[in-house]
Amino acid sequence: MRRCVCFLVFALVTAARPLAGQSQVTGLRDLDFGAVIRGVQTTVAPTDPIRSGRFYVRHQLNRQVRVAFTLPTRLSRVGGGGNLPISFSTTDAVAQGTAATSSPVTFNPNTAITFTLVTSADFYINLGGRVSPAANQATGDYSGTVTLTCTFF
Amino acid sequence: MRTTIRVSAVLAALLSLAGSTARAQSANITATATVFQAMTVTGARTLDFGNVFPGVAKAVGVAAATSGRFDLTGQNSAAVNLSFTLPANLTSGANNLPIGTWTGCTNTTNTATGCTAFTPSASATASAFSGTGSLFVFVGGTVTPAANQAAGTYNGTVTLTAAYF
Repeated sequence: MRRCVCFLVFALVTAARPLAGQSQVTGLRDLDFGAVIRGVQTTVAPTDPIRSGRFYVRHQLNRQVRVAFTLPTRLSRVGGGGNLPISFSTTDAVAQGTAATSSPVTFNPNTAITFTLVTSADFYINLGGRVSPAANQATGDYSGTVTLTCTFF
Repeated sequence: MRTTIRVSAVLAALLSLAGSTARAQSANITATATVFQAMTVTGARTLDFGNVFPGVAKAVGVAAATSGRFDLTGQNSAAVNLSFTLPANLTSGANNLPIGTWTGCTNTTNTATGCTAFTPSASATASAFSGTGSLFVFVGGTVTPAANQAAGTYNGTVTLTAAYF
């Protein structure tokens, strides 16, 4: 009797092990506006292969992932002395599965969205945006943090 | 009986663990930009070949007093790409005077002495503004009149496009 109980307990622990090694989100590339001119709005498209921000997400096929961005409203001047307004439109994010049959999905990075992973267990998310320097914007380098939070179901 | 109750308690705990699969992770990237002041590009001097004669090619070097010159202002010490739209001919009505063998040089002061040579083309040439935001671009070339070149005043347009990078 005791032997039978031990076997049953072991089997259940194996099945309920968390998917820690299978689910992940990784930041791959910064959103880089490069050189921008005072008084001139500059846009980076989410499809820009060099300048757009990029994340990698992996979970499990036929499971769901809820993605939510925490987006800055301004970039801060390195060394202080200024803020550069930044904004994101409703079409500034694109999700693309890694399977050959996956189609890109454009979505609004300002609101959370849930994906069901049908064609591939992993996908990329690209992020674009725009900065709007004032005519008297202080010259120099500016930066801010973009956070992507994934909830795996 | 005691054995049965213990197994049930363990099963209940494990089943509650198995049903709890929602888990959140976050990752960060950085959004970056470099703000520059606006750039100005001015055509400051015409590339002037003066009098040329049929069948006799004539060159104007970048250091000549009649070389073409562009004056640029921009962000102190910023890197800039220079590209050109160059005519293949100067024109006088329906007549063409071939032009080519373009030469160029850049300097952060208004002199061709000690300038950095390059070949003007549609492809970008990297340069940089001075520490006070100045850049001068000198342009020369060669015209090749035919032996039966028609007399007249021939003109063409050289366009410089500059961009921060």
